[in-house]
Amino acid sequence: MAFHLDADKLTDLNSAARLVPSGGLVALGGSLSARLPMALVRELIRLETAELHVVGSAHSIDVDLLVAAGAIKVCEQSYVGFEQDHGLAPAFRRAAQNGELEVRESCCDTVLTQIRAAEMGLPFLPVRGVKGTGIRELHPEYGEVTCPFTGETLVAVPALSPDVALIHAPMGDRAGNLHLEQPYVLDERFAAGSAAVVATVDRIVSTQEVAEAGIVIPAYRVAAVVEAPFGAHPTSAFPGYAYDRAHIAEWVRAAGTPQGAAAYLEQYVMSTDEAGYREMIGEQRMAQLRGYSDSTESWMSLYS
Amino acid sequence: MKFTFDEWFVVELARTIRDGEVTFHGFASPCAQVAMHLAKRTHAPNMMLIEGAMYAVNPTPAFIPPTGNDAVLKQGAVYSMRFEEFFDAAVRGDIDRMFLSGIQIDRYGNANLTAVGGMPRPKVKIGGGGGGCNVSATVRHLSIWSTNHRTGRCLVSACDFITDVGHRTPAGTRAELGYTGGGPDWMVTELGIFDFHEGRARLRRIFPDVAVEELEAATAFDLEVAADLTEVDPPERSQIEWVRKLDPIGIRRNEFRPQELQRTFGL
Repeated sequence: MAFHLDADKLTDLNSAARLVPSGGLVALGGSLSARLPMALVRELIRLETAELHVVGSAHSIDVDLLVAAGAIKVCEQSYVGFEQDHGLAPAFRRAAQNGELEVRESCCDTVLTQIRAAEMGLPFLPVRGVKGTGIRELHPEYGEVTCPFTGETLVAVPALSPDVALIHAPMGDRAGNLHLEQPYVLDERFAAGSAAVVATVDRIVSTQEVAEAGIVIPAYRVAAVVEAPFGAHPTSAFPGYAYDRAHIAEWVRAAGTPQGAAAYLEQYVMSTDEAGYREMIGEQRMAQLRGYSDSTESWMSLYS
Repeated sequence: MKFTFDEWFVVELARTIRDGEVTFHGFASPCAQVAMHLAKRTHAPNMMLIEGAMYAVNPTPAFIPPTGNDAVLKQGAVYSMRFEEFFDAAVRGDIDRMFLSGIQIDRYGNANLTAVGGMPRPKVKIGGGGGGCNVSATVRHLSIWSTNHRTGRCLVSACDFITDVGHRTPAGTRAELGYTGGGPDWMVTELGIFDFHEGRARLRRIFPDVAVEELEAATAFDLEVAADLTEVDPPERSQIEWVRKLDPIGIRRNEFRPQELQRTFGL
């Protein structure tokens, strides 16, 4: 978890994605439909990265695409799905049911506690819950600890230090200072508890501009930063753009069969790069997603 | 005034909130989400409303979007809690009420949000429980809901997998497990409303278009019925109007099977 002191970490997407080792423990930033590191996810799939152990707090299409591409061995998430709107994550569900994916399901608060232990240089921390649940049974690596002061027995969860945290931010500078909008979810903790952050930003800006907006993740945690416009698409990166509900619906429909998932991956990932991806999404659609803030009506129209 | 069942259901969830409570809903919970905003605008103006996946405090969104972390959900909030700030408050015992659901729920209020058929080889792998595994142990009161009671597969004799804890699990009672929260106090389904008596669900209210026999047939655990069982009190006109105003897209309806949306009532 050493600091990263280079003054200029700006690089290209391919070089940044190569910092993620096959078999590595990878923290995914953002959650649900917001600020998922999609440009990096697509590039990892292009690189045929494999055997990943992913961790995060409530994710959706990032994990589902990686599972469909066969990139994940162990999934340690608190939730993978598309909420009540599009429902279950088709590729994740299929792989879990076929035994092709080890689902080491966790809890948002347990992941938080494990990352905090890593941040503090501690081997473990206790949690009050988890005892008596099925989640406990999925984690033979958890232990028990008796409090030396109260005598209570609590579940002990080991420190979890990801090799890399993948984080998308609306803006950052060449040194890697990142500004995020709330909710930060686990991104600050992932940045502090991982060996390195690999970041994409919609816009590279001056240090002064990112400092004025507010630096949420400091440059010294970041090993590489890439300018990837619409890099969270089809998820949102406020204040820039809302999530693309129709595109997510397209994935969920396609991924209903392994053939459909493969066809989506071929079209939107394998046969193209990020510039080509944006062309397929189209300027008109991107303008609609950016235009969410024009009026309540335009915002609602994205979802009605 | 005509109204539909989804509107009434949200009103009943809102009625489980007491004024002044610090209240939270998880993501993928549109009925609970609309219910919290309804309570805040009607009988519980002094509650602290923490908006699900945004952790925004007392926001006034123009509409409820189909995802839990769209920025519209922090409109009007001058502060959003940080993720860890919320979870620390929840495990410390500073959150008074949280809404939880599940694909299976047993009589003690344990809930399965992980997998039908259990793990590691599920018959149906569902999304997962978010933060519920820890915070169900420590939040003061839990309001449980289901919109799938009628299927007969939701209120089960035993969950295939326990993600969130109710009043007791096979490993022991809440006291034996060292859990500091009070567990579920209400469970609202599309057929009726239960409280928890000696840690077990007990039918207290039934919707007027549902027969007790029908509800009993849909419940896999032995049904306990309160001596004072009555019909659910009808909603107030203003509550229905607020539901429509707060959720103009009708995101709440995503939680219901089509037949439930056909249920209409008059005031």
